Amino acid sequence: MNAFIDFIMGPMVWIAFLIFILGLIFKLVIIIKDVNDRESYIYSYLTLKHSLRSIFAWLIPFFPQSTKQSPVFYSISYIFHLLLFIVPIFLMSHIVLVNEAFQVSWVALDDGLADILTLVVIIALVFFAIRRYTVPEVKYLTSYKDYILILIIALPFITGFLAYHQFFLYKAMVIAHVISGEIMLILIPFSRFSHMIVAPLTRAYMGSEFGNVRHAKDW
Amino acid sequence: MEENKSFDWSTDLKEVPVREWEDRFTWVEEPYVSPDGETIASIVNVEEGVFTVCENGETWDKEYDKAWNLRPLPDGKFAACVSSDEEWTLSISGNEWENWFDFIWNLQVNQDGSSLSLAVQKDMEYGMAVNDKPWDQMYENINEMVLSDTGSSAAVVQVTSMVQADIEVFKNGIFSCAVNGKAIDKKFLNIWDISFDSAGKNVAYGVRLDRTKYSIAVNDTAWDKQFQSVWKPLFISGDESVIAPVKEGGKWMLYKDGQPFWNKRYNQIWHLVVSQKTGNIAAIASDKFGKWTIAENDVTWNMAADQMISDLVYSKDGSTLVAVLKDKGFWTLAVNQKKWNLGADKVFTPCVSSDGNIVSVVIERQGQYFLVVNNIVIPNGYDFMATPVISPDNTKILQKAVKDGVYQRLILSMDKIL
Amino acid sequence: MSNDMEIKDKPSVVKEKNTDEAVEAGLAKLTPERIKNTINQVLQKETGPRFKAYVETCMHCGLCAEACLYFLSNDRDPSYSPAGKVKQTIWEMLDKKGEVSIEFLRRAVHIAHTECNVCKRCSMYCPFGIDIAYLMLMVRRICHKLEITPLYIQDTVNSHSATMNQMWVKEDEWIDTLQWQEEDAREEFEDLRIPLDKEGADIMYSVIAPEPKFQAGLLYQAATIMHAAGISWTMPSSPGWDNSNMAMFTGDNEISGRIARAFYETAARLKVKKIVMGECGHAFRSTYDVGNRWIGWAMPPFEVVHALEFYHELLTSGRITIAEKFKKTVTLHDPCNVSRGRGLHDMAREVTNMLCESFIDMTPNREHNFCCGAGGGVINCGPPYKGERMINNKFKAEQLKATGAEVLIAPCHNCHSGLEDIVHHYDLNMEVKFLGDIIYETMEKKIYKPGD
Repeated sequence: MNAFIDFIMGPMVWIAFLIFILGLIFKLVIIIKDVNDRESYIYSYLTLKHSLRSIFAWLIPFFPQSTKQSPVFYSISYIFHLLLFIVPIFLMSHIVLVNEAFQVSWVALDDGLADILTLVVIIALVFFAIRRYTVPEVKYLTSYKDYILILIIALPFITGFLAYHQFFLYKAMVIAHVISGEIMLILIPFSRFSHMIVAPLTRAYMGSEFGNVRHAKDW
Repeated sequence: MEENKSFDWSTDLKEVPVREWEDRFTWVEEPYVSPDGETIASIVNVEEGVFTVCENGETWDKEYDKAWNLRPLPDGKFAACVSSDEEWTLSISGNEWENWFDFIWNLQVNQDGSSLSLAVQKDMEYGMAVNDKPWDQMYENINEMVLSDTGSSAAVVQVTSMVQADIEVFKNGIFSCAVNGKAIDKKFLNIWDISFDSAGKNVAYGVRLDRTKYSIAVNDTAWDKQFQSVWKPLFISGDESVIAPVKEGGKWMLYKDGQPFWNKRYNQIWHLVVSQKTGNIAAIASDKFGKWTIAENDVTWNMAADQMISDLVYSKDGSTLVAVLKDKGFWTLAVNQKKWNLGADKVFTPCVSSDGNIVSVVIERQGQYFLVVNNIVIPNGYDFMATPVISPDNTKILQKAVKDGVYQRLILSMDKIL
Repeated sequence: MSNDMEIKDKPSVVKEKNTDEAVEAGLAKLTPERIKNTINQVLQKETGPRFKAYVETCMHCGLCAEACLYFLSNDRDPSYSPAGKVKQTIWEMLDKKGEVSIEFLRRAVHIAHTECNVCKRCSMYCPFGIDIAYLMLMVRRICHKLEITPLYIQDTVNSHSATMNQMWVKEDEWIDTLQWQEEDAREEFEDLRIPLDKEGADIMYSVIAPEPKFQAGLLYQAATIMHAAGISWTMPSSPGWDNSNMAMFTGDNEISGRIARAFYETAARLKVKKIVMGECGHAFRSTYDVGNRWIGWAMPPFEVVHALEFYHELLTSGRITIAEKFKKTVTLHDPCNVSRGRGLHDMAREVTNMLCESFIDMTPNREHNFCCGAGGGVINCGPPYKGERMINNKFKAEQLKATGAEVLIAPCHNCHSGLEDIVHHYDLNMEVKFLGDIIYETMEKKIYKPGD
């Protein structure tokens, strides 16, 4: 058992990160190769200018029409996506671990603030789940898989939160936190979470078709 | 181009004033020039509802209610579709055909001018007429008319009636290819792009067999093999074989008699031409999406046009291949892989000497017409120009141009140009 | 849209989904083998990473729903939302690896052909820019290969394939109509011409087949405008004159490409500088970025100018002058294919303001305008589906009504016909006009001379 825990807490962390990063790179390479082989016409229309124009337009809060029409969802979504990166990267206990391994460190969030932000992430995920269940046009598209995706993201945050507060089963919670975090990382390249890199590409293509060919905005 | 020998190559300049026509008539339509350059002609409106043709200032003897589609003929005469009392016929320099129709269009002239064909409609029946002789059999509809150099005519005809929006009847095939008026006993969903062999006896054409299957048919028999799409076929090797671009597995290839012929797979190949002299085959092709080039015997030119290649022609001896193309917003020519730099708004039909040494073409830049010879643009701009003619000995060029209301038939010496 | 604007006394949700004899006859002939093979062939062989990215990254967020006229017109019924339509078609085809039922296909044809205008508005509401219209066209491509395309639009494609025009216009009818309009227009300008096959003219003018078939007056108007503006122009007497392309809306890409080739090779034969087209949206889409691409022209080989842009040029250059501005209040419908499809919406407003005294804009507008509900081949599916179409267009009717304008300008044929249906069905008491109608009405009937 201890050997298993050591593996989970040690090498498996690195393996998870490797799978996450290499998986995304692999995904990107496959897409580019596929485009070259099968849909090279895309390059006739793709421009950096219009790609970036569209991506940035969609990064500005409440700039695209769609974001104006669904302000609550987009507000929560913007905050959620930001915190999804900010909280784990700037968490003191994560930085300490990195420092132990690589002797590098960076500025950390105040633990109390990180705690609140973790709650915000969890609340956002609860909001997404409730929205899935209550908004008809979303419910219509939802299957159990969509809830699993929410759960996969929620687990590392919930377990982290519980572990930090040491409410109960501290050690088990830490292990659960690490395992769930690893599962999340590993699944990103192989699930719809890969929108992390694919969405900018689809956005770039649509942005180029609109900007470069259609001379119109796509936001 | 043997007929060019009889042209007057010794008189440097002949002029016909044309501006005064505008005073004589209510309006003067666009001019056409005879191959020998001796005559310039336009359809003119004499008064309300009265039309005739003015050739070198002389009007035809006859006047008509309507006239359109004026074209010069190889013998120096002109033909136009004309109408009197709501009936139509062809008038050749004022001499009408005996047959009159309810409508006529699509005048075609074979190379030596011995045959003239029209698509005709009479009492809502459709057919063709060649040299004043209408087909014996008429049909419900006609498309894709062709005239062979030997004077044979062919077209796609509708042989089965179809009420509006009856897609079931359509699906069973309602079209046949009719040759000299006689429909081949084989119906297809669609027929396009009829080609005659050089004897004018056999035909090859593209067909669609059902919603998604295409093939090539020769006379009444389709190739065994079916494709995703096909373009116009061509007879080669003394009419022995038929070649055609076909689409297979998402790419275009050249097939011969139902078998793969060229090895390369292209994004596009169409517009086949064959040199009768050398047997070389060329086509407009695209290797890379959006880039156009020429494939000659399955080898692509080291040249690309980013917009269009619209025409392709071999010199008579097969030594020179000329493409009309548009690249980066301008039209130009490419001759044996070398792109000229004409920067033209329009490029007209090129004229290539028999030995391929001289290529001449009329271009338009900013509203002015210029003559180009072997990539040299002669600086004099004109208001209008017709296709030039190169003398049989390659020493002279016949330029046909209008400037300041005067038509000039000008013989240019090649020495002075090159 | 406030409640008092809501249109009363009309059914508010589509209850009956129609079908037609071509769809039913096609379905009756299908075998499970053919269904499976066809679906898998199209989805595996004819798509690529783009398709994969679209289906694998959609997060099922439902934000596209807000964009869709059908969703909004049917009391926010989620089965009309863009992603909802993908779920009912593509997702299930993929899930079941092509082993879908006849009942499923009946619904799929209906969705793809009559409940989506492929207007691409939803792509502007999807944070990832997923091209849902492309996915719907993929469904239509499958329907085409299974031969279950709705009757009337299939007949149109049949006509395209045989005649290179969409309305079975015979070659002599086309020329005869032009000559007849030319003669009539000589009442106005005695030396007016519609020059046929004039090689070397600057402009080839092209129209869609309904013009010679039913609306020959539009050819008359266009000829008058061309003549007055002193344009060097021509029209082809041969096939290739029709710029419409319904094959691109049934997924018959092979015929669609053939049409585009005939069109551009006709322009090449006539050696023109550019092509001007009448007020038609889908024809612009076909020649500008669909038909041309399928046969390998990345961009159109000739500059293609939509009438709207051409009028703008004529009015700003002074080639056409306006005698007296149009008096009635007007509003403007932005056709998807030239606003969202080509960014001509601001030009459309400038032209409208140059012509009309009182212009009231519609909201939303420009790229965000709602489709007329007729485009994308929907109206071309014909009478069996008209009742549904009217209900599906309820939201559009409310948008039109809110303007309070007397005249509705629609610079697109499909929009024009669709909006006329809406105006009539919902008693909106608006007159639908083309820009050309208003130019013809208000222009000075004199011939432009440079320096005037």
